[in-house]
Amino acid sequence: MNEPSQYRPTLLTYARIFGVQIKNNFVREAVYRTNFLTMMVVDLIWLGIEYTLFAIIYANTPTLAGWTQPQVFFFLGVFFASDALFTTFFQRNFWSFSDLVNRGELDILLTKPVHPLFLALTRWINLTAIFNLFLGIGIMIRYADEAGFAGGIRWLLVPVWLLVGVLAALLLRFAFSIWTFWTERSWALSRLYYQFFAFATKPDAIYPKVIRYTILTAMPFAFIGSVPARALLHGFEASEFLALFAVLSAFALINYSLWKQGLRRYQSASS
Amino acid sequence: MKLNLKWRWAALKNGFQDATAYRLEFLFEVLGSALVPAAIQWVIWYALFEIGGAKEVAGMNYADLLQYTWISLLFTQIRGGDHDFELQEMIRSGALSTYLLRPCSVVEFVWIRGVAPKLFLAGIGLVGGCVIGWIYGLSPLHILLGMGFALLGNIIHYQLSAALASIAFWWEEGYSLLMVKNMLVSLLSGELLPLTLFPQEWKWVWESTPFYLFVFAPTQIAQGKWGPSEILFHLGVAAGWLLFGWVLIRLTWGFGIKRYQSLGG
Repeated sequence: MNEPSQYRPTLLTYARIFGVQIKNNFVREAVYRTNFLTMMVVDLIWLGIEYTLFAIIYANTPTLAGWTQPQVFFFLGVFFASDALFTTFFQRNFWSFSDLVNRGELDILLTKPVHPLFLALTRWINLTAIFNLFLGIGIMIRYADEAGFAGGIRWLLVPVWLLVGVLAALLLRFAFSIWTFWTERSWALSRLYYQFFAFATKPDAIYPKVIRYTILTAMPFAFIGSVPARALLHGFEASEFLALFAVLSAFALINYSLWKQGLRRYQSASS
Repeated sequence: MKLNLKWRWAALKNGFQDATAYRLEFLFEVLGSALVPAAIQWVIWYALFEIGGAKEVAGMNYADLLQYTWISLLFTQIRGGDHDFELQEMIRSGALSTYLLRPCSVVEFVWIRGVAPKLFLAGIGLVGGCVIGWIYGLSPLHILLGMGFALLGNIIHYQLSAALASIAFWWEEGYSLLMVKNMLVSLLSGELLPLTLFPQEWKWVWESTPFYLFVFAPTQIAQGKWGPSEILFHLGVAAGWLLFGWVLIRLTWGFGIKRYQSLGG
């Protein structure tokens, strides 16, 4: 008996689907224009709060764990830009992640001829948050010279490091959300993610050894903004690249394995 | 007018049961929202003093700042929850209608439900405060007074939040105002830093909002840094804000309800 031919989507298929998702989300968001302005103001105030917090600290000291004020502001620019990319393309999907499992909405994704994880993570796109990417880059440009950023060709490294930040945020957020397959309500874990996220909003150099080690390995929140900013300002050694690759790969593997186990446990609406 | 305690007691009990129905999640939430901001504070002091070698910052040494962090931890959990978001969502979605049929004030009902777990935490905070107080040699009376201030702060916070939530009668994106308010509260309440670290020329910023009454004032009282006259003065300030909040709720909800169409704002 001939085996049924299996449909294997190509990368181009995924790119096309992603394009359609962007178009659909753009149409939806174009309807809510005030929401765009509102979120812009909220994000500006959030940035203002972080900025003020450091301004208060630096009003009392010239350096913080070797970081000068312009260096910390440069870091804030990197962090803000990286977070903006994550917020734009992934964050909203995690808001409804537990509904996928607990309300059985995952059923429909499992029937599609592409990887369900791809659909679960890319269905919702928050295009209004892209404004923050430009804001973050603007802050980086403003403080680059004072922070001692070499500039020139090194600006080409910025997108690469921002993608590292987005990947780290995605893996971490996923790791906090995947437990919805095993728990009835996952909002407390999601909330915990946002609590721990506070560790990403400061340069890793200020942390004591244990916390610093943790946010560089087991919970790599430092990869969202701090490590990219440090790499852009001071460069990165081969061993550090290796460690970065090892941590992110391990996280990706563990997450994927948990997803597979979760799917085995999934019982549609009664899960 | 006779105060009906029956529904209030039922709402309090219901609020507590609802918050603690999922015990592990309740524990996660409390621990996460208490310990992480405290840990962030601690690492800033660590970076300043242990790594940077500073001896004193704004008149406080490492031990003083650590003490502030530990004591403020007792009060950060009391200041309020997300019940203002609940109110604005009720208005926006039209779910408010169900509450309007009940023989009780919806604003008060939501507050009582929300304050129930806070009262439980205040009790735990008092016990914890006595332990921390014993370590630092602080008076239990001061800790009790501080907790009283924190509970006053909870009421003021909720009053202002409920008034802000009423914007949902006019505007779809009312939640954004609440988000902005929460961000300002985190900075100006003394939850992230002792407000004494603010430069002198910025002092008016935190003094002109009631947010300092939520965490900074209770911490100063518990640490015994404010004398009776200062405590009375700030109690007067708190009373003024309570009155302002009460009037503000009457006005905003009074006008808002007239616009309400039961299909959303």
